[in-house]
Amino acid sequence: MKQKYIFGSVIIAVFLGLLVFLFTQSNIKYESNFGSIIASGKTVKAAGVWVKEKKYEADKISDTFSFYMKDETGAEMKVVCKGSAPNNFETATSVVVTGKFEDGYFHATNILTKCPSKYQDQLKTKV
Amino acid sequence: MVGSIVITMALAFSILSMILYYLSFCGAQNTLNYARLFYHFMSILVIIASTILLYLILTQQYQYAYVYNYSSSDLPIGYKISTFWAGQEGSFMLWLLLTSIVGIVLQSYSSKRGDLEARVMAVFALSTTFLLLMVSPLFKNPFAYLYAESGFIDIKNINPSYIMQAFLEPFRFIDQNSQQSYVKMGPELYAALKSAGISMSDFVIQGKGLNPLLQNFWMQIHPPILFTGFALSAVPFAFAIAALMKDDYREWVKQAFPWVLIGSGVLGFGIMLGGYWAYGILGWGGYWAWDPVENASLIPWLIGVASIHTLLVQQRSISKSEGVGRFAKTNLILCILTYVLVLYGTFLTRSGILGDASVHSFVDPGRLVYVFLIVFASIFAIIGFGSLIFRWKSLNKKYIGEENILSRELALFTAAVTLGASALIVFIGTSAPIFNVSVETSFYNETHIPLVIIIGLLNGFSLALKWKQANGKDILKKLALPISAAFLLTLLVVVFSGMTDIMMILIIFSAAFALFVNGEIAFKEISGSRKMLGAYIAHIGFALFVLGVIGSSAYGKQAELDLVKGQPVQAFGYSLTFTGYKLIDNNQKYAFIINVKNAGKSFELNPVMYISSFNNGLMREPDINVGLTKDFYVEPKSYDGGESEKPNETQLTLEKGGAAEFQKNKISYTDSFKKGAMGSENFEFGVILKIESDGKIYTAKPSMKREGGEIVFVPSEVQGANLYVKIQTIDPATLKAVITIAKLVNKDADNPAPPREMLSVTASSKPFVSFVWIGVVIMAAGFFISFLRRSKESAV
Repeated sequence: MKQKYIFGSVIIAVFLGLLVFLFTQSNIKYESNFGSIIASGKTVKAAGVWVKEKKYEADKISDTFSFYMKDETGAEMKVVCKGSAPNNFETATSVVVTGKFEDGYFHATNILTKCPSKYQDQLKTKV
Repeated sequence: MVGSIVITMALAFSILSMILYYLSFCGAQNTLNYARLFYHFMSILVIIASTILLYLILTQQYQYAYVYNYSSSDLPIGYKISTFWAGQEGSFMLWLLLTSIVGIVLQSYSSKRGDLEARVMAVFALSTTFLLLMVSPLFKNPFAYLYAESGFIDIKNINPSYIMQAFLEPFRFIDQNSQQSYVKMGPELYAALKSAGISMSDFVIQGKGLNPLLQNFWMQIHPPILFTGFALSAVPFAFAIAALMKDDYREWVKQAFPWVLIGSGVLGFGIMLGGYWAYGILGWGGYWAWDPVENASLIPWLIGVASIHTLLVQQRSISKSEGVGRFAKTNLILCILTYVLVLYGTFLTRSGILGDASVHSFVDPGRLVYVFLIVFASIFAIIGFGSLIFRWKSLNKKYIGEENILSRELALFTAAVTLGASALIVFIGTSAPIFNVSVETSFYNETHIPLVIIIGLLNGFSLALKWKQANGKDILKKLALPISAAFLLTLLVVVFSGMTDIMMILIIFSAAFALFVNGEIAFKEISGSRKMLGAYIAHIGFALFVLGVIGSSAYGKQAELDLVKGQPVQAFGYSLTFTGYKLIDNNQKYAFIINVKNAGKSFELNPVMYISSFNNGLMREPDINVGLTKDFYVEPKSYDGGESEKPNETQLTLEKGGAAEFQKNKISYTDSFKKGAMGSENFEFGVILKIESDGKIYTAKPSMKREGGEIVFVPSEVQGANLYVKIQTIDPATLKAVITIAKLVNKDADNPAPPREMLSVTASSKPFVSFVWIGVVIMAAGFFISFLRRSKESAV
């Protein structure tokens, strides 16, 4: 009886330890202040808005595409993302990129775009 | 209007039925028949409401917001039907519909089993009540009118004969950015239309349409199957609570078991169909991304499957002793948890809380719905775990018996623990964004590698264990054959692929081991008692699934290829030749033709690209050559037609005084200039741009000119900066200009480079990906076989 519980708790302890370790290894914070992203140089998920006035460019040779993003305060940064622009990039309003700021721009390994489901929301501010 | 009334009536009957069922449990006389009757009234009303919604979609009644937002007249009938569950409102409606139908079957099932019906149905009616509240006019009502809330609708969806009429003038708006015209819909416009004698259905004649990603065969069947799984997961919950209500834990195990099996089988199959859709349409080459929406349905599935293992033990030990059997508490917890996790997943994916964490477009449903979803999940959690705590002492008293360590019971329990660990990992990772952290997919992958190895080995060994106690020698003798077969297979894989990753080798070995053990026993069972055949088949499916996952991810190859028309390109043994394109679907889509040769076989692949009118986005669809041992997958990335396209050309929108950057050149819009009067001959209107390139400053003056009654655009070339600038439009009022800017080398239209049609693609080979699908289908079949057996057992 006792043995069983010791056995069980050892397994649970090892498992939870492993889980916590892996979690700290692979967790990434969301950051929507570009100033601190640029300053820290840490790997983060940067959430912001795609600056549509500055068009995006695709670079076939290095298989990347680049565009500009700005945060709520209006701070802008250049983002270079691996791969080609995702299917719904042109219509995206807010963008979340994963990566870090280095050598003057944000190196993104992953991009996530969110499309407005209703354009009403966009227009309301304009009219 | 009718729809909302029907929903509200159904809600009233659901509440009545719930109360009356509860009163009959409390001992009230004559209430059971009414409770039953009202449950059926509710179900019929829900079916009527669903029929009304489907009718509104099929008859294109765009005065309803839901139909307008998700459907359109040009959709084929199949996709119109899938509009039913394309949005939040409709998918809740579908979930409700399936839950009420499951309830009808459950009512008949429980009415034949003693005093079960009142308890089970009282709990079940609570589920229908909450779902009905969700689609009621208070929250996400699919029958809301388009004009109930103010919003802008595209002018192209308005009946053209009314566009120019005077009454519409105050409601017309133009978006400055896109130059699109909109009509402001709302109660005011509705009043104006009413006084003009125009009906809404005559005014709005087209809907926004269905997201093209959802216009796919698998999206027509994936949601109904998934929601059937969700609906079925409410049943074990109801049984568990019913057992706690009566404080009797012997009967419910047998009664709930077939429901748990069919629920898990259907939910698992539904999840897989979602993965199959992602593989075939999303074009990133995978089927599982650990996306919150996927995870939200995986977590309850894992817990449901865990409960199957411990329910099996309890059922066996009940038949052999007087007590409540082994794992009585565990089973109650797991069955309650399954449904609570379904509701928690619904909260995560529909409240908007994971907005930044998922590729799925989450509409923020508003504060009210957010709170309601929390209340929904919390109430079920409180009822479930509250009654468990209430009965905890009583449960402890009723437990008799103790088991030895090397027994199948323990193995089954360990299986449940491992599945629970997997669920916990996914739960933590999926919930992390609530606390503003997120995990990479590596978190899920790395934690699951050891779990899968444990599951495979455990499964193989446990089958050799007899119930109660087994002897060490016996086990080895039984397992000699499958162990050597698995060892041989692993060796072959390692030798042929040169795999060196020890974890991958272990996974392959453990999956092969499970496969051979289960295969051997299943083969014997077919001609034998067939009692546990379903379990062996499900485990064979799981082993094949694991092999498929490892094969397609660890052994897959991928390459980025630029295919110049007519020139073959080689990639890992395949030869690809791009030969041109054809226009499909009313000339709206480009289907590229790629001839592929591999090992003497040749086939054609047609990946598709098009601009969707739904969102003006470039859509890409992959094409796959499906094979039993290998898929060849081609995803289009970009197409360069050669002649007219100017590579590196960009459009810039500039305000006066503003600046932009183009390939390391800074372009500043310093001023505009005008010559002559507007509308007169030789009128010229242009902008002055300052271009900073490599530290030098140049000026460009592109303009638009009136010549011989026509407007011509005069480009400006800046040799020093190697740039070419041309005006697209200038707004005379705001002086905002849209210009095209390009590298000079590419602009020369008179002397073009020889046209070079080029298609860029990502090609990948995916060995044994078919095993993923085959494995899951076999697994689901195993669940179904077990379901049939356990239904027979629980028959009265």
